[in-house]
Amino acid sequence: MIRETLESLSIIAIPLIVALFVAYAAKKKVPVYESFVAGAKGGFDVAVKIIPYLVAMLVAIGIFRASGAMEMLVTALSPVARLIGMPPEALPMALLRPLSGSGSLGLMADIMKKYGPDSFIGILVSTMYGSSETTFYVLAVYFGAVNIYRTRHAVAAGLIADFVGMLGALFICRILLG
Amino acid sequence: MLNYVWIALVLIGVLTAAGSDIYDASTDRYRNGEPFELQFDSTSSNSGRVFYTREYYDAFYGVSIESPDTLVFPASIGGNSLKITTGDSSPELWKTIAKTDDKSDQITAKVQSRKGESMAILLPTTSLVKTKAVLDAVISYSEMGVKIALGLIGVMAFWLGIMKLADDSGMIKIIARVMKPVMVRVFPDIPPDHPAIGAMIMNMAANMLGLNNAATPLGLKAMDELEKLNPHKGTASNAMITFLVINTAGLTLIPATAIAVRAALGSKDPTIILLTSFFGAGLATIAGITAARILQRLKVYRIKETVGETNDGRNPG
Repeated sequence: MIRETLESLSIIAIPLIVALFVAYAAKKKVPVYESFVAGAKGGFDVAVKIIPYLVAMLVAIGIFRASGAMEMLVTALSPVARLIGMPPEALPMALLRPLSGSGSLGLMADIMKKYGPDSFIGILVSTMYGSSETTFYVLAVYFGAVNIYRTRHAVAAGLIADFVGMLGALFICRILLG
Repeated sequence: MLNYVWIALVLIGVLTAAGSDIYDASTDRYRNGEPFELQFDSTSSNSGRVFYTREYYDAFYGVSIESPDTLVFPASIGGNSLKITTGDSSPELWKTIAKTDDKSDQITAKVQSRKGESMAILLPTTSLVKTKAVLDAVISYSEMGVKIALGLIGVMAFWLGIMKLADDSGMIKIIARVMKPVMVRVFPDIPPDHPAIGAMIMNMAANMLGLNNAATPLGLKAMDELEKLNPHKGTASNAMITFLVINTAGLTLIPATAIAVRAALGSKDPTIILLTSFFGAGLATIAGITAARILQRLKVYRIKETVGETNDGRNPG
């Protein structure tokens, strides 16, 4: 019931918002077409502006992942994961989630294929995937769009949020599923 | 900080790749140049399957793998070259040999000798596996960056158009006014009726509803508005970082991608993660905002000009 409501809400949201905005603008006598086009002109510039930031970020992450350093990190951190009750199989997910969206998506699918989507590990990794966004991608794109390269505490705060999110996912899965 | 992360990713990556390649070479991990013996079972004149025992494989490479007692691969033969097709369940080493050989799942080996069904083959020389993988990653990830950026142009243009419309009509201000009590607390530096607030609310609403296509353009619009209020160009403002952390925490009512993958893999209850991931992301959001609040006061993260103005470094803000 909740699920159906949410799903239909997310489908009708955009058409509804667009209709509402256009109708309101028309009522306020805004030249709707002109105004839309004037705004839309910026689309290309923004996309092109983020290319260097995105390439820099993705290449660094690509090198790191291809080198096999991730596997070593997983091996090194496995005892720590066991200590806090995280199955070592789920550890790569926690480490990869902030780095790569497509990578963690593939990893989530692989782990669920192996252990089953309704197993504890399956539910845990899909919860982890849903508990965070790809932090470094968001950083590169959002700061790239406004040419910001001195990011101050953004990385630290973002990683703290990811860390807490992963621990939260583990905690709630342990409580609900044992 | 991003500087250090970048340096770390690149250097650790390159050094790990080089180190593991040197290790592989010194231990002769791929047994380059040593003939591998297997059986060829032909179904027609030049195609069929090859097989060998796990014991033989383990002894040959000095490993111990988990697999059935006999390993079987589809294969075809032409002249003295044998094409072996590997699959998902093939041993790791052979998968790597296939991938490094010609970036597919095929191994092209040379037949050294053949006696009835049994033959001895030479597998392709495999070296610098990780370094080659790094090189490939550099190229493919660069291309991916451009592809992602260019893929944004359409939705970006659309949402910037809609936002301009909403801005001109005063709709954005109305939205901002409704959410004012919350927003002034989270973003104390931003005037409550500034268009940045409206854009940020739109972005968060899109995130909550799982509308990723809309969330990014709206978020970038919000960043653009925040940048107009930012006195230090090129340096992130406190509000920007708070806004970014809210986005990286990814709070959503509908984790659509994860649910879709679960459903595709035959889960009995794909939406069981609605509650758990809302909890996880909720905690992440709270932790992120709190962390940003605390970190922004630290000396290392304060903006340079303001550091100069403060006489007493021990008593900030």
